[in-house]
Amino acid sequence: MIEIKFKVNQVDYKLEVDDSSRLLDILREELGLTGTKEGCGIGECGACTVILNGDAVNSCLILAAQVDGAEIETVENLEKNETLSRLQQAFVENGAIQCGFCTPGMLMSAKALLTKNPHPTSAEIKDALEGNLCRCTGYVPIINSVLAVAK
Amino acid sequence: MKSIRKFDAVPKLNGSWKFLDDYSYQGMIFGQLLYSTCHHGIIKDIKFPAGFDLQEFTFVSAKDIPGENIVPEPECDQPFMAEKEVFHYGQVIMGITHSNLRILREFIKKTGVEFEELPAVTDIKECLDNEKNAFGKELTIDHRNGQKVDPTWIYHHKIYYTPHQEQAYLETQGMIAIWKPAEKMMFVRGTAQCPFFVKSGVESIMGKAAEKVEFETSEGIGGAFGGKEDFPSLLAGITALLSYKSGKPVKTVLDRSDDIKITTKRHPSRIEIKSWTDPKSKKIRKIDIDYRLDAGGYQTLSPVVLSRGVLHAIGGYDIPDSFIRGRLMRSNTPSNGAFRGFGAPQAFAAIEAHVENIAADLKIDPLEFRLVNLLRKDAEFPTTQLISEDHLYDCLQRVIEKSDYQKKVKEFKKWNETHKDKKGIGLAIGYHGGGYTGNGEKVLNSEIKVIIRQDAMVEIYVSSTDMGQGAHTTLAQMFFETIDHPREKCRVQLPNTSKTPNSGPTVASRTIYIIGNLLHDLALEIKAELGFENLEEYVASHQTEFPQEFRRNFIPDPSVQFDEETYQGTGYKDYSWAACVTEIYYHADTYKVELTKNWSVLDIGKLANPKIAVGQAEGGIVQGLGYGLCEFFYKPGFGRMHGFTDYTLPTSIDIPEMDIEFIHTDSEIAKGLGEIPMDFPAPSVRNAVLFALGIQINEYPMTPERIFKSLTADER
Repeated sequence: MIEIKFKVNQVDYKLEVDDSSRLLDILREELGLTGTKEGCGIGECGACTVILNGDAVNSCLILAAQVDGAEIETVENLEKNETLSRLQQAFVENGAIQCGFCTPGMLMSAKALLTKNPHPTSAEIKDALEGNLCRCTGYVPIINSVLAVAK
Repeated sequence: MKSIRKFDAVPKLNGSWKFLDDYSYQGMIFGQLLYSTCHHGIIKDIKFPAGFDLQEFTFVSAKDIPGENIVPEPECDQPFMAEKEVFHYGQVIMGITHSNLRILREFIKKTGVEFEELPAVTDIKECLDNEKNAFGKELTIDHRNGQKVDPTWIYHHKIYYTPHQEQAYLETQGMIAIWKPAEKMMFVRGTAQCPFFVKSGVESIMGKAAEKVEFETSEGIGGAFGGKEDFPSLLAGITALLSYKSGKPVKTVLDRSDDIKITTKRHPSRIEIKSWTDPKSKKIRKIDIDYRLDAGGYQTLSPVVLSRGVLHAIGGYDIPDSFIRGRLMRSNTPSNGAFRGFGAPQAFAAIEAHVENIAADLKIDPLEFRLVNLLRKDAEFPTTQLISEDHLYDCLQRVIEKSDYQKKVKEFKKWNETHKDKKGIGLAIGYHGGGYTGNGEKVLNSEIKVIIRQDAMVEIYVSSTDMGQGAHTTLAQMFFETIDHPREKCRVQLPNTSKTPNSGPTVASRTIYIIGNLLHDLALEIKAELGFENLEEYVASHQTEFPQEFRRNFIPDPSVQFDEETYQGTGYKDYSWAACVTEIYYHADTYKVELTKNWSVLDIGKLANPKIAVGQAEGGIVQGLGYGLCEFFYKPGFGRMHGFTDYTLPTSIDIPEMDIEFIHTDSEIAKGLGEIPMDFPAPSVRNAVLFALGIQINEYPMTPERIFKSLTADER
């Protein structure tokens, strides 16, 4: 077991973690943050995307032991006082949510992009979301949502 | 009808919407499947690895089944678990539980099963080309008129192949079962499209051991597309048995690799078409279609896919003399199953390529050739069903007009003369019959229930699931908009087989078309029966009458008659129609086809919710484009794919600019939408490749490797 200290959604945590536990496992199982989903477990689908020290990462590919000292943001942090963020609101307005399983990961990839580059082009958005698979929407409304916030 | 917001949008955005793996129960342990890695053989021995305490595990196999070892399906031929012989890779041999999922997975990985191997058919062409592999009932539609072939008619004989397609729902298959011994009751929760199918699956495996079985879906169903139609019955059955034997709640969630390897896919097809075209009139005079599907190891629901396949096989063409033969072929691969389109995408992939090939060979403009042969109003299908509307023609005309097709054809031809890279433009048309085939809806006899509470809250009870397509938003809307009731006072309840009447499975583009229209009718009926103008006011002034329950069954149209033996009559009461144009850019150095633009025009009748309808079309068209461009699951010499690393789905950078339009939306009726977007895009990509490169590729998808091989075939 390894002891780690880290911050998730502005809250400090100290945990004893198994050396084979992934960041995804401790978020879902230890912290109860089940908004982050497992779609493939091998970093191909992006459903488990969280923001780690400002970067969008696949939490299924990060060992829990690696996040000692890190700051993490998950989908649960986006809505404040029951008010959706601009990005979330844009997802509603553009009809970007179907089954919703890819949605948390999409939101986190898009947020990481917009934080670094507040006015991305359509091509930059497509690039940033390339690692997030969606089988329902065909991506169009998701890209449009991010574009709406970028303007 | 308005584009009202989806009721589940906010919880899906803030992470609170619960999918199956987000549920946990007191004392819950984990289940997983041990499956065959042999394609065909006799199980000789199962060796568990050393270093594990077997007391910590629960095991179930065929011999533990108190009920029947048969998954209920249209054809009941598939066991839940193999007894002695395995017929395909991925066939389940055992269910196993442990309290720690990582230990359980490691244990199964290290478990060795010894087989005596038997001959197996695993290659798609080996399966489909050999007529000896045919099994199950053959279907024929005979619409021959005895006309002799004129010697001036041009004969075309081609064979088209389509690959498997993986549904690739983002949430993998999963079930939780909780055995309640005091009540002899099995409760199951899962991610599934068809609640009553799962219930009957669990009843079958449990037999008399369970007096009651209840199935409820998880709040969220993370995509399905047909992939959660029948496999959930098998998974639920085994998970239920594990809970029964261990006495604990058991959760079985497949990891992506297992899900891709062992669950159902779209059937690969081999469609052989012989046609005779009169070069003077440019009319196809006669056609003979041999439609074959690789069903996999068992028939399961394949006969129904075959049925829809032969009913759509002639495509959108009026051919006076036609003969269609459909067969299922057996292979030693996991049973194939439902996937959006259900036999029709294969049919259109073949016929739309065939008409394009004829036009190319006869040097006729493919649009003109389609228009000459198009299925117009008052023509008839090979089933003798008369076409009552000219909407296929309208879709085609509209898409040609808005894409500026004819001008682009000229421009691209000119551009291609001077460039190594090429531009291509391809046409395709399609249609899809709504609801169950023929008399199917009459047999289903769907029932819906509505309870109006004392606060005027309307609770809708239907077994239709919301797997992302927005069904629960649109179904509620079809009720409350009809009687002008506030949207927040109308909600579809989570499907539960003890509380919800059986309104049938969530398949066959029937949810809005059948159940939505039933809700619309029930709303009008309640209004007439109670005699209110405003339901809230009525309930407030008649409190003693509430809560009140209302039910309604599907009322079949007596004019819909279909002969299951001869395949004559009304295949489907209503059809949705579509046409599309796809533009591509071909990169000569890499042989890669880039999709640049897609225009699609669809007639699905009245739009229940325009924004949701557009979303369904966009998503389905991208699945269809993937089917035409990059998705395949089996490669000779390599075998089957293992996950998202080698099964390539379209990503955000692969999609074209899209323009979708619905026409004839002033119709009285909302027709089927779910499947038609999948039916036509693939051949439009293929036809654009023919335009760009002048090569007739009759095997899907249009991968760089296939294009390279076709272009260099002559040199080699």
